[in-house]
Amino acid sequence: MNPIARAIAARATQALLTAWVLATLCFAFVHALPGDTALRIAAARVGEDRVTAETADRIRREEGLDRPLVAQYGDWIARLAVADLGRSLVSRRTVTDELAYHGRFTLGLGALGWLLSYAIALPIGVLAGFRPGGWADRLTTAVSVGIASLPSFLVGIGLISIFALTLRWLPPAGFRTGAHMVLPAITLALGLAAYSVRIIRNSVVEVRAAFYMTFARIKGLGARQAFRSHGLRNAAIPVATFAALQFAYVVDGFVVIETLFNYPGLGELLVKALLARDVPIIMGAGLMIGLLYAAANLIADLVCLTLDPRRAARAAA
Amino acid sequence: MTAPSDTLFQPRVRRYPSASLTLVGAMIALAAFGPLVVATDPNAQDLLRVLEPASWAHPLGTDHLGRDVLARVVHGAPRSLGIALLCVLAASGIGVALGLAAAYGTRLTDAVIMRLSDLMLAFPGILLALLLSGFLGGGIVPMLIGIKLTLWPQFARMTRAVAIGVLQEPHVEAAELAGFPKPVILARHVLPPVLRQTMTLTTLGLGSAVMSISALGFLGLGLQPPTPEWGAMINELLPYLAEAPAQMAAPCIAIFLSVLGFTLAGQAFADETVRSESAP
Repeated sequence: MNPIARAIAARATQALLTAWVLATLCFAFVHALPGDTALRIAAARVGEDRVTAETADRIRREEGLDRPLVAQYGDWIARLAVADLGRSLVSRRTVTDELAYHGRFTLGLGALGWLLSYAIALPIGVLAGFRPGGWADRLTTAVSVGIASLPSFLVGIGLISIFALTLRWLPPAGFRTGAHMVLPAITLALGLAAYSVRIIRNSVVEVRAAFYMTFARIKGLGARQAFRSHGLRNAAIPVATFAALQFAYVVDGFVVIETLFNYPGLGELLVKALLARDVPIIMGAGLMIGLLYAAANLIADLVCLTLDPRRAARAAA
Repeated sequence: MTAPSDTLFQPRVRRYPSASLTLVGAMIALAAFGPLVVATDPNAQDLLRVLEPASWAHPLGTDHLGRDVLARVVHGAPRSLGIALLCVLAASGIGVALGLAAAYGTRLTDAVIMRLSDLMLAFPGILLALLLSGFLGGGIVPMLIGIKLTLWPQFARMTRAVAIGVLQEPHVEAAELAGFPKPVILARHVLPPVLRQTMTLTTLGLGSAVMSISALGFLGLGLQPPTPEWGAMINELLPYLAEAPAQMAAPCIAIFLSVLGFTLAGQAFADETVRSESAP
């Protein structure tokens, strides 16, 4: 079998498995909680203090909570398969509508932050890699270790206090205009760049020490020209691999960043739903984030296989 | 075990091992003895003196409920660092045990354990802890389980790799021929190199656990107010960022210094491991 097709098949199976485990976990969490599920749903719908035994009984019948667990589980998986996730207990809109609405914002922020991180990391990493141990290299390392030691919300709070509260250049939070996307995107980008700048720097250092670069210099090319025509493409392989992998790490970052900036993406939806105990939304957003992560991993695998034929050969072996 | 030969790939940075250990030591001392030294009640409110700047009575000022920020940061240290330690110890215990089982057991055991760890790595890190905290209510236990579950696969993988390498060495073969029982061989010959190698992961794991705990606290899904926990403090102070930047800075710096200390110490351990293995 073609290694690329094999990789797709393996990742797709894993994505399905991940989705199934997440779905099962959500089901188990909801039903394993102490107390009566119907009473909790009733409390979420009409308020803690107005729940009566009748409301709970009605919900028990409506939601099919009086049927055996196995039947309920089968029903839950069957409805998932046709993307029927029910309605939010708070907004009463369907979960799929909510996911589609908030998903757009998350994809936009993720893509912008990811692109921005490479706009920051590429020039700095190459500069640092050209003089290993020089002042630019040492400064880059110190700053990147420092940023990597800050949780993303601290980076965000720092940016808010500088650019929104002190300089008043940008809005601190919310979402109405494109300017609202700048600070969250920079926060995400700085967190990603703190790691990728090291990879870029190392791969530049490694390529510049290779024999073919020495040969290019002997041939009479200048340092810059030798790097442009012989080094760049070789240095790009590990960097592109890492860049694709980082697209998956974006998923980790946006939950906290969106909540900090009150940005209406999937992460903010999930956290609000968790605080409000809005179970259908929690399940839907959890599943969606898990699937996004699996999809990003699949893309990363494909990029690696296309860029580095040696890897494909190993995968086939 | 062979040391990574491509030293070029390692960033050649001086990592100040003594400085990082001093930093870690200082944070541990803060967690262990700080609450005894700073006797002020971290939850005592004084609504007449809210958001006050630094003074002799309140060296780091007061928060929006008039509570002493210094006391809250100091009393938060054993919580943030203690829970991180519990998470990482539990994760490394599970990971090392499963890794040894995978290396030493049948092929089926190996396959099951490795697929399980693949599956865990296929989850975005924070999601599991979020869902658990959300469903079970904020508190220590869901956080412990969630963070532990995301950390153990790394330990299992490294343990398995190290153990498989050690099991092929002549002295282990000699011990087997001499008739030592499996548990003795594991404890005497396999466990020590495994623990040396996983020391780096443990230290780096502490840093990432401190980050996850504070992130959960910040999202309002970790330890619940009025518990003085750094992430939760930041969440509570966020609306007053403009009026009280100094009060906000205190827990931020505490998180930063802890994570920085663990990260640098982890890199120092990694350097030490590479150096001791490349030595003849």
